[in-house]
Amino acid sequence: MKIEGEHLFNGPRQDVWDMIQDPVVLASAVPGMDKLDKTSETEYYGKMNIRIGPVSGAFDGKLTMQNPVPPESTTLLVEGKGAPGFVKGAGNAVFVEQEDGKTMLKYDADLSIGGTLASVGQRMIDSVAKSMMRTAFETLDRALEARLAAKSVGKATEEVVYEKASEGDYVKAVAKDAVGGFTSSAEGKLILYIVPLLAVIIVASILLSRCSG
Amino acid sequence: MTESFISKSIKRNEDPRLLTGKSTFIDDINLPGMLHVAIKRSDYAHGRILSLDTSEAKKLPGVVAVYTAEDLGDYWHPGPLQVPPPTAIKGSVFYARPLECIAKDKVRYSGEPVAVVVAESRYIAEDALDYIYLDVEMLDYVGDLEKALEPGSALVHEDLESNLAADVVQEAGSWDKAVAEADHVIKKRLVVNRVAGAAIENRGIVAQWDDNMKILNCWATTQGPIPMRNSIAKYLGLLENQIRMMNPAIGGGFGPKIMSSQIDDVIVPWIAIKLGQPIKWFEDRRENFLGTTSERDQVHYSEIAVKNDGTVLGVKDVFYHNTGAYNPYGMTVPLNTQTHTVSNYNIPNFFTEIKMVFTNQMVVTPVRGAGRPQGVFVMERLMDAAAKRLGISPVEIRRKNVLQPEAFPFHTGIIGQDFVEGILDSGNYPAALEKTLEAIEYDKFKNEIQPKLRADGKHSGIGVILFTEGTAVGPYEGAKVMVGVSGKVNVVCAYSNQGQGHYTTFAQVAASQLGVKVTDVNVVIGDSGQWQWGVGAFASRGMTLVGTAIHQASVKVREKALNLASKLLNAPVEELELNDGVVRIADIPEQFISLGDLAMKANPTRGTVEEGMEPGLEAASYYGPPHGATGFGCLGMILDVDAETAMPKIARLVITDDCGTPVNPMIVDGQIHGGLQMGIGEAFFENLVYDEYGQMVTASFMDYLFPQASDMPDKFEVKHMVTPSPLNPLGIKGVGEAGAIGVPACYMQALEDALYEHDLDIRESSINPSKLFHYVKNAKSA
Repeated sequence: MKIEGEHLFNGPRQDVWDMIQDPVVLASAVPGMDKLDKTSETEYYGKMNIRIGPVSGAFDGKLTMQNPVPPESTTLLVEGKGAPGFVKGAGNAVFVEQEDGKTMLKYDADLSIGGTLASVGQRMIDSVAKSMMRTAFETLDRALEARLAAKSVGKATEEVVYEKASEGDYVKAVAKDAVGGFTSSAEGKLILYIVPLLAVIIVASILLSRCSG
Repeated sequence: MTESFISKSIKRNEDPRLLTGKSTFIDDINLPGMLHVAIKRSDYAHGRILSLDTSEAKKLPGVVAVYTAEDLGDYWHPGPLQVPPPTAIKGSVFYARPLECIAKDKVRYSGEPVAVVVAESRYIAEDALDYIYLDVEMLDYVGDLEKALEPGSALVHEDLESNLAADVVQEAGSWDKAVAEADHVIKKRLVVNRVAGAAIENRGIVAQWDDNMKILNCWATTQGPIPMRNSIAKYLGLLENQIRMMNPAIGGGFGPKIMSSQIDDVIVPWIAIKLGQPIKWFEDRRENFLGTTSERDQVHYSEIAVKNDGTVLGVKDVFYHNTGAYNPYGMTVPLNTQTHTVSNYNIPNFFTEIKMVFTNQMVVTPVRGAGRPQGVFVMERLMDAAAKRLGISPVEIRRKNVLQPEAFPFHTGIIGQDFVEGILDSGNYPAALEKTLEAIEYDKFKNEIQPKLRADGKHSGIGVILFTEGTAVGPYEGAKVMVGVSGKVNVVCAYSNQGQGHYTTFAQVAASQLGVKVTDVNVVIGDSGQWQWGVGAFASRGMTLVGTAIHQASVKVREKALNLASKLLNAPVEELELNDGVVRIADIPEQFISLGDLAMKANPTRGTVEEGMEPGLEAASYYGPPHGATGFGCLGMILDVDAETAMPKIARLVITDDCGTPVNPMIVDGQIHGGLQMGIGEAFFENLVYDEYGQMVTASFMDYLFPQASDMPDKFEVKHMVTPSPLNPLGIKGVGEAGAIGVPACYMQALEDALYEHDLDIRESSINPSKLFHYVKNAKSA
């Protein structure tokens, strides 16, 4: 699966870079992500628990940084597996400063996906990945806004309050983007959950790469 | 005269028990103390196994055992090949790589078994699968048939030099000569898609070891009970009769259930003996999509050489055939393609080459059609292309080249799946063509109806194609017929029934000799405890081979009954008649003896017997033809296409079929209906798709589309011809695959005709609205 896209952050590049080095912020943007651990200078370990019907089970993800250039770009390798299948691939992210003081993130990834994720979820992956990305970026936008506001009055950015992404928001976003009618079947509903899991991993993998910068 | 029930549409003996829910299917079998198996399958398409950790799964409460290839020790070995390669074809190459029941060092397709969990319930067994950790070194996926043979491709079997699984060249006449004499040589690359058997019931097996009797009782959904029993005996080192293999009622087969030496029949009996408890495994739908077998998937580079007057001089077809990760079923499918390419026509020069390719996909074995639709698709598309080039109608070019009735028996010069030269035994192909054209009102449609529709801006097209169906191949089948003391008749055979109506048609054959009601014939199919010789249900061979064996055995039993009655009634055999369950003297009807009484007297319990006497009103017989009997037909279709949505609707479908003597015409019609539905599915709905990493992305009925009732035409207009086969006494040919063979070829011809203004050139056997949209968009006139 190939994904690519871009997102405009309403803030300077360095602030965006700093924000996404905060594992707490990152975890908050990814619904279902329980924790993120840095296991070495270039490796991260994430764990998510999925409890939805036949695809319930833990999903472990390992991320390996390659060539980070703070605050401009990075490449990362992602490897995740669990009961619902596996994901393996590589992604790139580039942060471009804009003239108006904003920051454009451009990302692309090529992921090999296997198991139930692929054999049952494939059809919805593209649209759900988009929904997932949107939910995550909306959360990060709120986090960035709160951090910039705190910074302007001299408060610590680590203690800002913002609305975090929930699995509920995320499922709602998916439902909104999904093709009408397919939610009526039990299997269709299942898809709503399986495919987002994948999107979570993709987003996590891209964003987590920032942490090592 | 004993009343004959042949060619009568008798209601099916099996329907009352099926329709009232009284049949026992494999999953209905529940034995005391039975344990359940679930299979851990690889998520990876291609990889070297680094580690396989089952320790956590073993700790789960309710889990009894977990086995991997390593745990099997010496019991683990690949194979055997279920179908040997043909040695009769000179210069052919075949690299045998039989199935590994469970992956040992390498996984070669997504869905390949890597471990087996035995638990107190299926729920627990399934849960335990999540606690088995497979770690692999991922290897490049081999999926593209042509790239797989290029140097540098990853190798599915690393001990081979390439992914070439087999190479078979056959030539009748000389293609070079055809080219030299031709006015036109037209080339096409044609692609045939992959479809599932997708029976309503998946596969399953139950095994129970009787340690007292030293007998393994086995129930399986197999289409070939004797080969499966023999495979199990070989694996376990038991005598064949220590395994009682029984077919329960089976919910459809369509090909994939013919396979044995797979994980289920290798592992489940072994576990049953090891643990001393009955074991059940029943495949779920996702496993069926990923890990059983399926078929089609060929890429053809085909050429046709024609003269300006429409005479076809030759055909050349070099094709890549996907065999999947292993080739346990030999060359059956691609050989069927070779024998079904030019078979309707008089083509003096034919060159055909199989390049069988190993890929990281599930194994390919026959699915209803079994190579035949591919050959017919190629030939019929070539005929359409030639007609277009020459500016003549598709019908005209077929009329000009169709094989004439006086040509039979016709020697094709091409060796088939039964390893002998294909000989078309009998037929009248032009008559089938004309009958179909008349029924579908071809001329009226082209000359009157279609021009009006086109003037109104509507898109309606017609297609007419010919097909043959090679059926009833050897080696042999057998059966035993016995009259019981009740006067009822028992027929036993080791075939397998998945819904074909054998409980009725086999009974019709026996009843026609033995003068009993069809409902008084009990048919036992697939119980090796009662009869243990046979091969299995494939190639539409049941009615012809088993039916003939039953006929021959019934004739012997009839003779026995009449001879015994002759003595008891003190009248010569010629003066006796057998009807209504009694033998009577024709001229003195009050002097008779019932079959039941004869059966009793045929088994004397005191006294002496004559030398050479065989007890009972019982006889066995075997039948093996010198070569298959070839059915044939012609398919016509009118498609209405909605130009905005690119959605076609079948307005009319006419099929003329000739399967020799139809034992039960109603059941023949049912076979044709089912085949047509599969053909329609293949042409427009069904498609197994692997992504670029070797993951099957159509592993549920959400994504693998079946045609629904609403996708069918309002009716199937089935026309019959009867050209009895000279190969067997009843003149039977098979019919099980007829409907499925011709639909894709006919569908594409009709589509091109419907969308005439775009001058489409459809080069694949499966289309959908999206593909059709792109064909139109990319067409020359667009």
